[in-house]
Amino acid sequence: MKDSCSSISRLLEKYFDRETTVDERNLVQDHLRQCAACQAQLKSMEELRATLRSPVDEAVKEETFAWVWQKIEREIQTREKPSWQESIRAWFGLSFPFRRRVWIPAVAAALLIVAIGSPLLFKETPSQTELSIVEYVQSDTNNVMVFESEKENVAIIWLFEATEGEPST
Amino acid sequence: MALRGNRRRTLYVMGKRANFVIVAFVLVLALLFVSTALGQVQTRLRIIEASNVGKSIDPALRDVHDQLGSLFNFTSYRLLRDESVSLSPNRPSQINAHQGVSLEITLTKQQKKKAEYQIRILRQGSEILDTKVRLSPGQTVLIGGPKHGQGSIILAISARF
Repeated sequence: MKDSCSSISRLLEKYFDRETTVDERNLVQDHLRQCAACQAQLKSMEELRATLRSPVDEAVKEETFAWVWQKIEREIQTREKPSWQESIRAWFGLSFPFRRRVWIPAVAAALLIVAIGSPLLFKETPSQTELSIVEYVQSDTNNVMVFESEKENVAIIWLFEATEGEPST
Repeated sequence: MALRGNRRRTLYVMGKRANFVIVAFVLVLALLFVSTALGQVQTRLRIIEASNVGKSIDPALRDVHDQLGSLFNFTSYRLLRDESVSLSPNRPSQINAHQGVSLEITLTKQQKKKAEYQIRILRQGSEILDTKVRLSPGQTVLIGGPKHGQGSIILAISARF
């Protein structure tokens, strides 16, 4: 029995801290049902923990930890303002252009340029009408002649205006 | 450990700033590109008097004489005015050509190497001609006919990109 107590005693602390395996727990619980000495040892452990815990719990309840948060916030603010040496190092650091975070907006901006520029860069194949210089001519008062010379890159629009006293031709 | 964390945070902040600078730079380039593409077009306008009075051809009008020679037999070409107008899209510009004849020219569209114009010729404020033309670099449109003395007025219009 004594041998059993000594072997259980080693497990008793683990059992108390809930660190035992299922088999170990069953073993300890079986032993505790039969052994008053070990029951007393376990009880004394529980009392000791209760004695230690109660003042700590009370102190924690009273404490708001405001000063801890203030200190953390101050530390964050300090870290967010890098020194000029660190800024320069970061600017010239080779690592940053290769980071994915840089490329995502760069690629987005490039796509934006393509979206804006592509209608201007890639013209549709011009039709015969689009190749001509004169699209339309209209005159309600006079006759008009249109002559286009593709070779000379010139278009002539001639308005036949009548001289005074003569009807327009 | 704290120093490493601090450096990482610094790099992160600087990385964010670098992202902003890159995006801003690219956007500025895009805006420049678009504004250049959709900007103003320099338009050359020559006002010419063609007649059969005399036989003088202004040396600056050789091209016009060569282009019109096969169609009309004017013997004299006189340059009355040569000016460049900077046209913005959809903003009509009115120019007095000569003695009661004026033209209203509007840049209606501009592509990479093509400008589209609407041109209205007015005599004493009344429209006598309305036309729409597309000009590429090197192309010219000659609008002629309005009487002027014993000859006619010719407007030579070309675009400069």
